[in-house]
Amino acid sequence: MSASDLVAQLTALLGIEVVRSDAVSLQAYSRDATPMFEGLPEVIVAPRNTAEVSKIVKFAHDTKTPIIARGAGSNLCAATVPLNGGIVMSMTNMNKVLEVSKSEMIAIVQPGVTNLDLDQLVEKEGLRFIPDPGSRNVSTIGGNVATSAGGLRGLKYGTTRNYILGLEAVLGTGEIIRTGGRLVKDVAGYDVTRLLVGSEGTLAVFTEITVALAPRPASSKYGVAYFDDLAAAAGAVEKIITAGILPATLEFLDNTCLTAVEDFAHLGLDTKAGALLIFGDDGDAISIEQTVSSMSEIAKSSAGCRGVTLAADVAEAEELLYARRCSLPALARLSSLSILEDIAVPRKAMAEVVNRIGDIGKKHGLRIGTFGHAGDGNLHPTIVLDKDDPREVAAAEAALAEIFALPLEFGGSITGEHGVGSAKLPYLEAKIGPANMQLQRSIKKVFDPACILNPGRIGS
Amino acid sequence: MREKFSQDKLDRCISCGYCLPACPTYKLTGNEESSPRGRITLMRAVQNDKLPALDLLQESSFCLGCRACEPVCPAGVEYGVLLEEMRDITWQGKNRPLIIRGLFFIVDTKIGMWTLGLFSPFAKQREANKDLHLMYGCFERRLFPAVSRAVAKLAPEVSCSSDQGCCGALHAHNGELEKGKEMAKALGGKLPGTILTTAGGCAAHLASVIGGERVQEFSQWWVKREVELKPIEKKGRKIRVGLQDSCHLRNGMGVFAQPREILKQLGEYLEIPGAADCCGAAGSYALLQKKNSRKVVSQKIAEIKALNLDYIATVNPGCTRQLVTELRRARVKTKVIHLAELVAISQNK
Repeated sequence: MSASDLVAQLTALLGIEVVRSDAVSLQAYSRDATPMFEGLPEVIVAPRNTAEVSKIVKFAHDTKTPIIARGAGSNLCAATVPLNGGIVMSMTNMNKVLEVSKSEMIAIVQPGVTNLDLDQLVEKEGLRFIPDPGSRNVSTIGGNVATSAGGLRGLKYGTTRNYILGLEAVLGTGEIIRTGGRLVKDVAGYDVTRLLVGSEGTLAVFTEITVALAPRPASSKYGVAYFDDLAAAAGAVEKIITAGILPATLEFLDNTCLTAVEDFAHLGLDTKAGALLIFGDDGDAISIEQTVSSMSEIAKSSAGCRGVTLAADVAEAEELLYARRCSLPALARLSSLSILEDIAVPRKAMAEVVNRIGDIGKKHGLRIGTFGHAGDGNLHPTIVLDKDDPREVAAAEAALAEIFALPLEFGGSITGEHGVGSAKLPYLEAKIGPANMQLQRSIKKVFDPACILNPGRIGS
Repeated sequence: MREKFSQDKLDRCISCGYCLPACPTYKLTGNEESSPRGRITLMRAVQNDKLPALDLLQESSFCLGCRACEPVCPAGVEYGVLLEEMRDITWQGKNRPLIIRGLFFIVDTKIGMWTLGLFSPFAKQREANKDLHLMYGCFERRLFPAVSRAVAKLAPEVSCSSDQGCCGALHAHNGELEKGKEMAKALGGKLPGTILTTAGGCAAHLASVIGGERVQEFSQWWVKREVELKPIEKKGRKIRVGLQDSCHLRNGMGVFAQPREILKQLGEYLEIPGAADCCGAAGSYALLQKKNSRKVVSQKIAEIKALNLDYIATVNPGCTRQLVTELRRARVKTKVIHLAELVAISQNK
């Protein structure tokens, strides 16, 4: 179908206020937060309710038009770039919190609610929404569910997949299904909820999400430890967890990241150190006092430790965590292009893996800044390069291939929390094998027989 | 006239979207193209010949230019500069709004400047410290002459020279970037030493051209004097006072603690929840985009009303004008006053 027919029919179906197709709007939706991926959609729709979503998807199904549901467009795997043209469906108009139930500790939200808005709203009830990806100020709950977003609390609390109780979703035919619900226990049928979490818009479009909340901890305490290098920090992390401590946060940054973050946040971090470890816990005041002082002692006695300081108060700790969340964009200060990766490895292999990443950088003459969720073994090596230097661009491609292969040697993954999207699809089979690839394709066909939901990603 | 954007400034943006929640026009519409990240995507498309430059016209006008996206940007994108470039590229010839052409005419010509000062009781010319000059501001001298008078009374050491033109902020923000810079340099030449200004917008522009060390906005300068201020009383109690930040002063120069420090001495200081958010005046925006300007300010008016303030202090004439107009429309009794005038009241001057 021609683009103008597409626009005319959608406008007839939905009304002028839901459909946009001017050159400026189309251009604005041509990318997400992933560098080097771009594609023009043919039309933007911004539905206001489930019925409209269903109508739009059914239309896409009947006309075999690719359709991508998009939240804040802050994902890092090119999962929402319209590489095949078609429809971009912006979910940001569906941004209402429908219910917060304090006694059940749940909230029911529309997909366009931002992570931070939800957390601030439930804070009034003494509750908290656990998943906290770096982009939480802007990312939507729909996007969080689509990528099973992680964040800084994964080790102790898990990620988005642990907090989704139920979904209302529109299948690739336009049919509306409900999965799960308000219950902690519910084993009626296959766990379709869990299958849809992390499906990156390839199986269904979420229109209503029931999330589990947690009590807001009474207190929290954080500290920082400096090390000679990342491997030394990784060593301390391994010792902390082996000692039986399961803290909320163990984050590390190498010198490149640390310097960039300090440049933005001006927290007085020691930029001479090779690596920074942020450790901390939340809970009742007495027990976290105990865990944080134990972590502090273990860090001090670890090889390569240059010193430990504790944050004076919650505000200082919040600043520290905020700065950590800004690692990636802060790295952008260093050059015209930063390519971020998201590998995950078993924790005990982490020290070796960070050293190997360092070697890869040296071998290709590239600057790689690595930060990550040390407690989860989730690393974000980031290549910072000059996009106009052909040597660096070619070197980066070679280095990336090696970085993707690296976790597989250790039983790790090509992506810990950012997702597959278009960026990592070429590497997926190496991770999950041909039989599983085929199974995923078959699953997709059941949910989306016309293959219109975010085609060219998982399940393709 | 400019044709291309500064590539290094475009490259800084990695499209992470951390700016979206800070953007007033994104809040109004939820549309990507009306966000800082979206607009930079559009600028890139123009830079790479994927979009005709004139397609930027609407968004370059819709953006308030408040620069609230800058302090929240970890990558350090200089959005304010990119916006000035965007208007430099698009607001040319017949695409320059008539109102802007009129305003340029007034401040560009001797007769225009003369008219602005005519019968207006702004601070009289005087010679004092040769290295400290008060800047009158083009429109402030006409609309709010009491502000420069207040500063002159408060600080006898300040020189006031009648030979001063426009600082060029108006030009820089409205499609004449180079001319705006030249004007700032010219003003820097006419007023030697430190230039003291009561307008946040002018301060930020001047500082970006002639250097921060030569420019002092009133609150920045006053707190260094360390003068003890008497609280102002009304009906036997301290006045209830709030503040409207100047966007460019706060987001461009990082000055926001100083006016609060002063106000805390002058009365019971109450922070309005959106004090840091743009009031919708945004230079010429309130004239060019009346409807949107009102949408932006509406929440703020409700907040000021809810706090039942005696005074709302301002540090930039555009904000004063906007709040006076909109509070009057909403029949809110809170008085809008420049910070310098409030200090003068406390000092019985």
